[in-house]
Amino acid sequence: MSLRRALFGALTFGAAALALVFLVLPVAAIFLRVPPRKLVHQLSSPIVTDALIVSAKTTAIAQLLILLFGTPLAYLVASRRFRGRSFVVTLIELPLVLPPAVAGLGLLAALGRSGLLGTDIPFTQTAVVLAVAFVASPLYIRQAIASFEAVDPNLVAAARTLGAGPERTFFHVVLPLARGGLAAGTALSFARGLGEFGATIMFAGSLQGVTQTLPLAIYSAFAIDFDTAIAMGALLVAVSAALLILLKLVLAWQPSRQTSSFLSARSS
Amino acid sequence: MRFALAILAAAVLAGTAAAQVETTRATVFAAASLTDAFPKIAPHARFSFAGSNALAAQIRQGAPADVFASANTALPEALHADGFCSKPVVFTRNTLVLIVPSSNPADIHSVYDLRRKGIKLVIADKGVPVGSYTLQVLKNMNLSAVLKNVVSRENDVREVLAKVALNEADAGFVYSTDARTVPKKVKVLKIPAWAQPKVQYGICVVSASHNKPGASAFIKRVLSPAGQKILLRYGFLPRVKR
Repeated sequence: MSLRRALFGALTFGAAALALVFLVLPVAAIFLRVPPRKLVHQLSSPIVTDALIVSAKTTAIAQLLILLFGTPLAYLVASRRFRGRSFVVTLIELPLVLPPAVAGLGLLAALGRSGLLGTDIPFTQTAVVLAVAFVASPLYIRQAIASFEAVDPNLVAAARTLGAGPERTFFHVVLPLARGGLAAGTALSFARGLGEFGATIMFAGSLQGVTQTLPLAIYSAFAIDFDTAIAMGALLVAVSAALLILLKLVLAWQPSRQTSSFLSARSS
Repeated sequence: MRFALAILAAAVLAGTAAAQVETTRATVFAAASLTDAFPKIAPHARFSFAGSNALAAQIRQGAPADVFASANTALPEALHADGFCSKPVVFTRNTLVLIVPSSNPADIHSVYDLRRKGIKLVIADKGVPVGSYTLQVLKNMNLSAVLKNVVSRENDVREVLAKVALNEADAGFVYSTDARTVPKKVKVLKIPAWAQPKVQYGICVVSASHNKPGASAFIKRVLSPAGQKILLRYGFLPRVKR
């Protein structure tokens, strides 16, 4: 009996250690591959700085659009009960499970020159913003729906009884109560947007200083200069890790109920 | 733990055993422009088609390739110099063309029309062989200024082809063999012979290959009259200029 227990313990521990090493190794290897001084030197190349600017600009604008249009959508879905609601939620979540290459095809078919709407957007920075917004928005909207649903309906009802209109209730009661979850959703979708590759390369192409984001520059540099690619990889790891830590801090500040609502990520 | 290790070891052994069964099946890393022709020459080989420079980078990182077929000779020569592959031989040649969508939205009728402002020109990245050939053509024709009209630098020739065939770009430079694969979607504009770069394809056996007999057999097949005939059928040029 105690032998079985010892065996079980050893197996669990061994498997867990293996899983952890597997997850950490590639990330650690990026930093071990190029010495820090060389890393800094590689990062000052114009290819890297251009890609960093394009990435920061397009991801920030995309995130702004996601907040501006995703928040009302999430609020309506969270606060109303209507026929086809779960269908709408599924539609919102679809880009999340869609392969990015398919997202790129879809954007071309919809907004390409000979697409459904026939626009001149492909190959512009707008195309990068749209590609990023398309693949990253479900992460925010899903989280926002869960956060709005977690707001105690009694508090909303009390505000309305006390004479606050729907707009005042939203800005003074609902939004402050949901802000932790909304911040978490923002961090997640921002990180996803920063890493976007497939949809961007198909819909926006790749041109240094215009549409070449960090992931596209990494792919292009990989075939020419591995060290530059690794340096940009290290940069992305650092930024993503910072976002993740920020996310944990934001969640730690919130009441535990919001943390669990994030973890369970209810999509009803 | 020992049990888990045993399972792991068994899984790894099974995997390598499965891999060892296919000793004759060569893994061929080949330039994207060979996508249609190569499987016809050796239907049983395993292919990875991409930009030659990306493939060369993968081979340097230890990718399990047996054969490297590049759209230039410089990349396999460089691999050879660093001990990554055998001395490359030229196995075919190609020419560059300018393509426009069949609807020709920007009304382009010669390479010189690319100078017009606002044209959406797509070319391959400079590290990709077709990208450097494109830069050579433009330099030969004294047209380097048209690079202002480039809206995207793609990672291989087939991505350039796709963007033009989809009517998203106004024009692009590809090999004549690529243009032939979508005759209804693109119109071909010839580049004068005097401005053509020397497009030679090099092939070599990857030094780290575990299947050198299979690799040599594949290269022999490509160089054989039957292999050359298939390449000619797809629009490639004979390996030696006649």
